[in-house]
Amino acid sequence: MSVWNYVVTAHKPTNVTHSCVGNFTSPQELNLVIAKCTRIEIHLLTPHGLQPMLDVPIYGRIATLELFRPHGEPQDFLFIATERYKFCVLQWDAETSELITRAMGDVSDRIGRPTDNGQIGLIDPDCRLIGLHLYDGLFKVIPFDNKGQLKEAFNIRLEELLVLDIKFLYGCLKPTIVVLYQDNKDARHAKTYEIALKDKDFVEGPLSHTNLDNGAGILIPVPMPLGGVIIIGEETIVYCSVTAFKAIPIRPSITRAYGRVDADGSRYLLGDNAGFLHLLVITHERERVTGLKIEHLGETSVASTISYLDNAVVYIGSSYGDSQLIKLNLQPDAKGSYVEVLEKYVNLGPIVDFCVVDLERQGQGQVVTCSGAYKDGSLRIVRNGIGINEQASVELQGIKGLWSLRSSTNDPYDTFLVVSFINETRVLAMNMDDELEESEIEGFCAEAQTLFCQNAIHDQLVQVTANSVRLVSSTTRELLHEWNAPSGYSVNVATANASQVLLATGGGHLVYLEIGNGKLAEVKHVQLDYEISCLDINPSVENPNYSTLAAVGMWTDISVRIFSLPSLELLAKENLGGEIITRSVLLCTFEGVSYLLCTLGDGHLLNFLLNLSTGELSNRKKVSLGTQPIMLRTFSSKDTTHVFAASDRPTVIYSSNKKLLYSNVNLKEVSHMCPFNSAAFPDSLAIAKEGELSIGTIDDIQKLHIRTIPLGEHARRICHQEQSRTFAICSLKNCQTSNEETEMHFVRLLDYQTFEFISTYPLDTYEYGCSIISCSFSDDNNAYYCVGTAYVLPEENEPSKGRILVFVVEDGKLQLIAEKETKGAVYSLNAFNGKLLAAINQKIQLYKWMLREDGSRELQAECGHYGHILAFYVQTRGDFIVVGDLMKSISLLLYKHEEGAIEELARDYNANWMSAVEILDDDVFLGAENNYNLFTVRKNSDAATDEERGRLEVVGEYHLGEFVNRIRHGSLVMRLPDSEAGHIPTVIFGTINGVIGVVASLPHDQYVFLEKLQANLVKVIKGVGGLSHEQWRSFNNEKKTVDARNFLDGDLIESFLDLSRSRMDEIASSMGVPLEELCKKVEELTRLH
Amino acid sequence: MWKEVRDREAGKLPPFTFASRVRSRRVSALGLSNHKEIVSPHHGAVNALQVDLTEGRYLLSGASDGSAAVYDIQRATDYEEGLIARHRSLFVVDKQHEYGHKFAISTAIWYPVDTGLFVTGSFDHFVKVWDTNTTQVVMDFKMPGKVYGTAMSSLAKAHMLIAAGSADVQVRLCDIASGAFTHTLSGHRDGVMTLEWSTCSEWILMTGGRDGAIRFWDIRRAGCFRVLDQSQCQPGRRPPFLENTSKKIVARTSLAGPSSLANKSVSRKKTPLGNGMKQSQALRKPQNLLRTPVRQRSHPGMSSSHDRATAHYGAVTGLKASGDGMYLLSSGSDSQLRLWDIESGLNILAKYEEMRLQTSKSLHLALNQDSSLVFVPCMATVKACDVWSGLTLQTFRGHYELVNCCYFNLQDQELYTGSNDRQILVWSPPSAIINDLEEDNRKERKFSADKDNWSD
Repeated sequence: MSVWNYVVTAHKPTNVTHSCVGNFTSPQELNLVIAKCTRIEIHLLTPHGLQPMLDVPIYGRIATLELFRPHGEPQDFLFIATERYKFCVLQWDAETSELITRAMGDVSDRIGRPTDNGQIGLIDPDCRLIGLHLYDGLFKVIPFDNKGQLKEAFNIRLEELLVLDIKFLYGCLKPTIVVLYQDNKDARHAKTYEIALKDKDFVEGPLSHTNLDNGAGILIPVPMPLGGVIIIGEETIVYCSVTAFKAIPIRPSITRAYGRVDADGSRYLLGDNAGFLHLLVITHERERVTGLKIEHLGETSVASTISYLDNAVVYIGSSYGDSQLIKLNLQPDAKGSYVEVLEKYVNLGPIVDFCVVDLERQGQGQVVTCSGAYKDGSLRIVRNGIGINEQASVELQGIKGLWSLRSSTNDPYDTFLVVSFINETRVLAMNMDDELEESEIEGFCAEAQTLFCQNAIHDQLVQVTANSVRLVSSTTRELLHEWNAPSGYSVNVATANASQVLLATGGGHLVYLEIGNGKLAEVKHVQLDYEISCLDINPSVENPNYSTLAAVGMWTDISVRIFSLPSLELLAKENLGGEIITRSVLLCTFEGVSYLLCTLGDGHLLNFLLNLSTGELSNRKKVSLGTQPIMLRTFSSKDTTHVFAASDRPTVIYSSNKKLLYSNVNLKEVSHMCPFNSAAFPDSLAIAKEGELSIGTIDDIQKLHIRTIPLGEHARRICHQEQSRTFAICSLKNCQTSNEETEMHFVRLLDYQTFEFISTYPLDTYEYGCSIISCSFSDDNNAYYCVGTAYVLPEENEPSKGRILVFVVEDGKLQLIAEKETKGAVYSLNAFNGKLLAAINQKIQLYKWMLREDGSRELQAECGHYGHILAFYVQTRGDFIVVGDLMKSISLLLYKHEEGAIEELARDYNANWMSAVEILDDDVFLGAENNYNLFTVRKNSDAATDEERGRLEVVGEYHLGEFVNRIRHGSLVMRLPDSEAGHIPTVIFGTINGVIGVVASLPHDQYVFLEKLQANLVKVIKGVGGLSHEQWRSFNNEKKTVDARNFLDGDLIESFLDLSRSRMDEIASSMGVPLEELCKKVEELTRLH
Repeated sequence: MWKEVRDREAGKLPPFTFASRVRSRRVSALGLSNHKEIVSPHHGAVNALQVDLTEGRYLLSGASDGSAAVYDIQRATDYEEGLIARHRSLFVVDKQHEYGHKFAISTAIWYPVDTGLFVTGSFDHFVKVWDTNTTQVVMDFKMPGKVYGTAMSSLAKAHMLIAAGSADVQVRLCDIASGAFTHTLSGHRDGVMTLEWSTCSEWILMTGGRDGAIRFWDIRRAGCFRVLDQSQCQPGRRPPFLENTSKKIVARTSLAGPSSLANKSVSRKKTPLGNGMKQSQALRKPQNLLRTPVRQRSHPGMSSSHDRATAHYGAVTGLKASGDGMYLLSSGSDSQLRLWDIESGLNILAKYEEMRLQTSKSLHLALNQDSSLVFVPCMATVKACDVWSGLTLQTFRGHYELVNCCYFNLQDQELYTGSNDRQILVWSPPSAIINDLEEDNRKERKFSADKDNWSD
């Protein structure tokens, strides 16, 4: 790998941090706006559910998301503030379906210390001002003028230093905030301040309430006519207003989110951290509050946001589990729950650990993550591309074509599978036992290669061979009619639909036949200037039996032509250029848009927009899918049409948001494919691979495929052992015993396919699993699981005791072979030169695997190294050890065999608080740190002075905006040796927000090229809300902010492909590179993930 | 610790909070370091200590024998018994040096931008700028008296000024770019002991003099714009809204009483009467005066009694601004520590436990990362006090004689102290190395003994 790195997101953030509901896109439409840390999504509420309207990245981590309506505006505006002190006000542009920036700015201050409890942003309900609490002791006010424009901001001193929550009260003549804070004796109080805009100061407000519940954490302002505020504690809920004060006790729980149900504010939904949903009701008489009531509704994911939509439908945004759309029923179900889950939205966050495995041994990595927390903990198997789940297969050599046929037009299932070989055609059919056996269709010619066959109208079948076209009754299976090729000519290519046949013979003859009842009629015949290489008359959606257009690919002049049917008049001709002939053409329609797809012999695919009435072709795009000729075929999955491109790199072409997407299929090489929907194998595909015919079902069509294994407990560490075909995890389960909440920790063994727990080793009380690896030792062939633990005692700041447990898997059971006590938490374990390297608190310790005289084994300390504050993250390569410290960045150690000692070679003297580290190559190490940055350091082994050699030089810096928990070598895609991308080394990282990202090390020339492209793109693609890309990606910590270097933003670069043609042209010309080449280069990059 | 790591990993604990928790835990565990030692080359009292601001790696010390030294505090020069890291000076400049100071060095600071330069000030009336790499003096400034203190702004982008205080009443700003004095700031009535630049504006300088005054200067304007007055205390509370609620609120100062009613009427109804407005403004005036507009009102000349205000009885010996730029701590020869609100210039009246402070020398105070803890040299000890409650949380005893200076390394949470006993001590969170190793050795020995028994 190298120092020139390319960072790209393979799986976008899914952790829902904020959500709100309002009329954003139009005064009549109700929208749900969701923030997923660095992205916002806008959904429209429809009777059928949520309909996505927009999903855009924000150049910042969203700290506040609020909808508000300035005076005189018919619809809501969106206010966003980011953690790096930028804010913007966005408005929806209905014409372009884009966001317009109404206002933006910077609210950072030189003065003040960033708040510990997170930034708070809020908007006065009467829209007089925006309030921000960003620094301890300061409250920033951005006032609105009469026209709803923002005026200059100012700060007001806030005496309360430890602020937990701030909200605006409703119905106050002057904007009034209520502040929930903690004093220096840890008691919690609430008080109110009026904001005097003229004096730029606070005036003490009407309410104050001291000595609240110690767990009070959330304020809910109640709208008029009731007014006042609800304070949610862990054991009590309090309502107070000027006139009333009510309190009720609740079952101890930590409320994490609330959502208002009614506009008058008499009912609220509360979600706690056990995932329970409660309804809080304010009872009132004649606008006077008479009491509070709380009711248990049911269980959801642990909510981080609750947005009541409409008609008892509620959106539950979650950070620790899948977000949900739920319906609150009037009557409880059998389990007493009022909650009905309508829909689930996958959330991978927080990814605390993951491993990259190749379970199917196809050379493609899958990522297995430890996701979620609390009861929503799960394992997720993330795979790129589309999987085929093989159901049956037969060995068959030399397949030249595959078609499925129904026994009658109305039969819902396919019966026959026609397999064509070079000199014969065989028919397979489903028998009574739902087995595929060789069969016969009498009317078909079995002694010749079938070029095409098809179910036709009037319960007929069509078979095209080199000599003839045969029309066969599908009921009697007898030949009804035959059209013979003129003597001296043989049919080269043919295609057909239910009522039409188009074929080409040598000499450039194009013949068009129509299928009648028991009769084939030659309707038209033309001779073209060159030989014909491929044909298609796939009908359009409106008329599934008849096509008015025919696509023809030509030899010699390398063109595709569109002819009208039945007249065979040339409508359009498109020269493809180059010398590679077209191998397959296909007319198809996705999401109402018609395309012509055309493939070349070298694995390229061209697509055009097709005008169905005029036959005109436009908007040509070219992508490379493989290196071998591609055969195109349509198929349906879940009532949607997709195209299967069979080649050395099989791909499914589909459309999403009216954009063509290409997703690779997890198969090595496919020569032919046809859909095969039989009773025994519903919705399946028949696939001809090298020497094999198989039938299988296909996954949902999407780029990343995620399988969820719910655990009901929080998995924290995972590793895979190939020898025993198992996974092992360290997990913890929260147990609620009467009043006390306890945690139980386990080491669990899981089957590698079913992911069922097959064995469990419970850890001691207070003992936590901290690290796990699978390894083997020198002089011992067994594979072991080694688990590092810590005893976390309540009275201890730092664990002073831990264990290393060595397990072997025997008969699917975890057997403890050896254990070694350590003097601290075992934060990390690594297999190292046939030994075990552990990071124990400050120390790096190497253990040997010793054979005792009685034949048993034990770990014996060999040597150690001190000099870290806490050695959290350790990676090894050869004799080198790279340590990521709690707060002292990265250091490089070397194990010296002769001396049996570990020595420090070099370190980075910056004060980076590490969160993950990985070795990219012998000299370059990648680190992720506490302020959401990535950086690389390089070893200076050639430096002249000791001082320089002892220093790891920082070579790359980049603000990722994500908290990385783990970096591992591996790739999500299949590596093909012939593609350029196949040689680019990559690492994968997982983050708290559920992002799976890829860091790829590029060759220098490619890096320079892409850097130029990125610079050009920054000029064209403006950040939402006018936020600056350069500032967003600048490395930033408490000490410094510097421009990103030696890292490229792959998400930005790949968004090039979404640009309109004219903008792409613009960029290509300013880059001085042909557009096609540029597209190809960017497409290559998209194959990295 | 493991719990915090776990919570950070799962997104339950924001990384920023994680870091501040770890820091405060480490600070509370500070003790005389069991694994780190600085070998002082000085033959006199250590008067000044500072770690460079860019890399946090090089410690600069200045001493009464006229010597200054630099140490690498990240990388030990050697290890005692392979365990205790010893940090010897990388170089020393002393009286033997061609351009060395003739008398005691009272102040030594790094150039904030990089480690290529450092500045020393001495009782020989000179402020000298040194090139770190060549250890040569590149510039010197002759002051009118013994130099007590120097300061450079770590924020400065537009200037390269050393603020220097001496036995003379004027504060001088020495410009490294031109090699000349650019400003002389007059106002103090006696020598200037200590100087501190604002941590939120590169133009604001705060100085403390032997006249007991702390003066604020905006170096873009003439004269001093504020003199801190120890009797101006933080009224702190805002006028309450309703009288009846104010009873519930803990303790309110007298200011609240009469104004509350007036305020209520004004803010409740928007009285168009000019009278009402005026009234309210008049009532609020004392507060306003103490807030922002002070800058204009009490500007130069300041013949008013205000100019005579003092922050301490006796001399102001030390100043330290909090990292957030909102508060200033001062120490005086009256053995008091005072906390000031910089914006309003009010004495916050934090009650620090009684202590005895050195009176004759300028003291160097230190604050921790979130400015919640102040380290104060108290005679032969250093005390760590909570900035807000004033409670002494820890007393560091180790020096044999008076401690002059302390520097808190924010990066590593280590405290360095310099004393008249010529030592520089390191105070750090404990490392388990020593116990660990000893125990290991013991065990190993025991184990090998066992083994021997078995094999025989």
